[in-house]
Amino acid sequence: MNDANPVLSVDKLHKAFNGKTVVSGLTFDLYPGEILALVGENGAGKSTSKNMLCGLLAPTGGEILIEQQKVAEVDGALHGISAVHQELSLFKSLTVAQNLCINDLPGSNLNIDWSKAEKIARKELDFLGVAIDPQALVGDLGAGKQQIVEIAKALLHANKVLILDEPTTSLTKPEREKLFAVMQKLKARGVAMIFISHFMDEVYQMADKYLVLRDGQQVAAGELAKTPRSELEALMVGREMTQSQIELAPPQNQVSLAVRQLTSCHFNQISLNLKKGEIIGIGGLMGAGRTELAEAISGLRPAQGEIYIGGKFIKRPSLATMLKHKLCYVTEDRRGLGLFPQRSVKENMTAANLSNFVQPLFRGIGFKNEQAAAQQVVDKMNVVLPDINSAVSHLSGGNQQKVLLGRWLACQPEILILDEPTKGVDIGAKLDIHKKIAALAASGVAVLLVSSDLQELLDLSHRIIVMRTGEQVAEFNRDAFDPTKIIAAAASSAYAKETS
Amino acid sequence: MSFKLLFKQKWLPIAVAALLMSIFLSFVSPAFLTLTNFESVLVQASVTAIMAVGMTFIIILAGIDISVGAILFFVSSLFAQTLNTTGSVALAFSAAVISGCLLGTVNGLLIVRFKVTPLITTLATYTIYRGMALHLTSAQNIPVPREIGWMGNGSFLSIPVPVWWMLVFTVIGIYLLSQTRFGIYCKAIGCSAQSAKESALPINRVNILAYAIGGLCAAVAALILIARVGGLQSGIGIGLEFTVIAAVILGGTKLSGGSGSVAGSVIGAIFLVLIDNGLNLFNASPYIYDIVRGFVLIVAVLVDRVSVIKNQPNALKFKTSSEGN
Repeated sequence: MNDANPVLSVDKLHKAFNGKTVVSGLTFDLYPGEILALVGENGAGKSTSKNMLCGLLAPTGGEILIEQQKVAEVDGALHGISAVHQELSLFKSLTVAQNLCINDLPGSNLNIDWSKAEKIARKELDFLGVAIDPQALVGDLGAGKQQIVEIAKALLHANKVLILDEPTTSLTKPEREKLFAVMQKLKARGVAMIFISHFMDEVYQMADKYLVLRDGQQVAAGELAKTPRSELEALMVGREMTQSQIELAPPQNQVSLAVRQLTSCHFNQISLNLKKGEIIGIGGLMGAGRTELAEAISGLRPAQGEIYIGGKFIKRPSLATMLKHKLCYVTEDRRGLGLFPQRSVKENMTAANLSNFVQPLFRGIGFKNEQAAAQQVVDKMNVVLPDINSAVSHLSGGNQQKVLLGRWLACQPEILILDEPTKGVDIGAKLDIHKKIAALAASGVAVLLVSSDLQELLDLSHRIIVMRTGEQVAEFNRDAFDPTKIIAAAASSAYAKETS
Repeated sequence: MSFKLLFKQKWLPIAVAALLMSIFLSFVSPAFLTLTNFESVLVQASVTAIMAVGMTFIIILAGIDISVGAILFFVSSLFAQTLNTTGSVALAFSAAVISGCLLGTVNGLLIVRFKVTPLITTLATYTIYRGMALHLTSAQNIPVPREIGWMGNGSFLSIPVPVWWMLVFTVIGIYLLSQTRFGIYCKAIGCSAQSAKESALPINRVNILAYAIGGLCAAVAALILIARVGGLQSGIGIGLEFTVIAAVILGGTKLSGGSGSVAGSVIGAIFLVLIDNGLNLFNASPYIYDIVRGFVLIVAVLVDRVSVIKNQPNALKFKTSSEGN
């Protein structure tokens, strides 16, 4: 679309961590005033690509050319490339002008020229065409304006290429439109942009070109105008339905967990019936409110609405009351929230039902049968470990996950809520865990499975419920599973419910 | 300053509280509204206020310095000892000021070098500095010559010398916080250490400098205190750090860092003296004082918490409004 030379060219960029390839074959040309959409599923390698392009990570192979000059590693300020990350790097207790100029304050060390800083800020904000008072505290601004301040800050130092990582996830609709207007203005002035987004609507509205990443591989690139949406969605998913290796038993008719109109600030009016022996998969993109929903059902997070277990209304859900009703929650954040990394496997195994092992003779002093019970779980879960008394942090990711799962299974749950049960787990352990979950369901346990791994949901669920920005948008039965449709439901429109 | 800006000042609540307290006390006792009493309130507040100026920067950085009372004790000891053995006032003064800066710098270095939380680090140095001082003086009381007393009891242009010092430190502190890189970096680092790292701010240097300034303030406060008392007393400065921290928190500086006000800290120090003054007027038992001070601090912290909680729903609100049905 432009006769000029590309401002940024990337050829077969490659990144590996400890020999494990996370991104490979990244190749594109970016011309001034062009917007390139970088799309892909969760964990497709978008963040790693972004970090290489803005200089936070050094690539392990391939070439980066900036204005046709080869560079080994990007230096954002020097090469004019800046990135706006999802986590904003603003100081909320400082003013807009102070935030914009913090890296290059006008005046001397001992006498900052604040009126000049304010002028710089005003000029930059005028350039973006937004009305923000440079003297306002950033913490007092809304999320949309903060995003724009962050963009202004980025452009102040580097204004050739701007990388925007999921800039719209926390914005309201008007804020989003304002952001897009700013992007259009920048485009007209020749700033090239790389736009990372999950949302197909936004991609088609804003971008000229696309680049699809899947499992770290660049699988396609081209002009959006020539690519129909369904094709792009299919490219993102990429895989055909494979026959699941897991045999699922049919669920029983008795409803085990019922959720009615559950609402909080992260999700809206979620209702579902989970039957005995059924596995419901909750799909959706990062930030769709899935983990928050799982935590709300488990009593970890306050929410409005009703939760019934076995037909019984739960008045005040808390983790302890839920546990009493045999509902267990296995967290996504294994290391941070789930395990006690410094403590032994044994203690981690028995932590959830410690009261069963308390010595009955002298009440509350000493434990009984703990070792044996823990050993039993270890055997049942196939945990590979040197010694039951070694610290959990010494185990591999897969085995840590088995320990965590084992701890809750030791409570003999009737309802199990699993959040990303195989995150960071190697393929062998993953299959083990999948088989375990299927076996549990077959024995009558109701399972709610939150996962970003679409294949896992397809393999393991009787039904899949798709969430998008907190809304329950679609439901698929096992015989009607279609990965492309599921991705489309999760990603298509950020703000309106589909009318299909 | 426009009217709107006045309402945004962080020192406003404590200034209003101090004013109301003064009005109340002047109704209770006619002795309160005299120039002598007014002067004596300011002189009594000066030691805490000067230390609170330094502490403001440290707390804005989301740090804390428990050792300032101990620094004050050590500096006083060194000053008295040097003066006693050498008789040189200039030498004693320089030793005092330099040692104050140095002890503060040691705090800062330990904190940035070993990344131990400021509370624990300065709790350790508190013990060390106090021990050093006791060792230096063998826990003796040492009188200082009468002419030193000018620093604490004299006056210049009919304003007491300690009040001058307080004014000078307040003005310098306000300027440092609002007009220099150091000041703005303090606010930025205290607001978000992560963002400060990403913006490549000199986090370590700013921290060390802030603790050094805290030490310097303690040293000057030590000189005023020793001059007022007329000599070194072994128990000097015990519990002072809590009065200082209380003054800073009362003054509107957030304990979690990021924002604060030097003027607020100074007014906070004056407010604490006003409370003592009031208790004195009511002939309250001296044992009551600490109880009341503690309660005042709890109220101040609660007010701070409530304002934080009140601001939090805003941070969560955007998600629900994005539904847009």
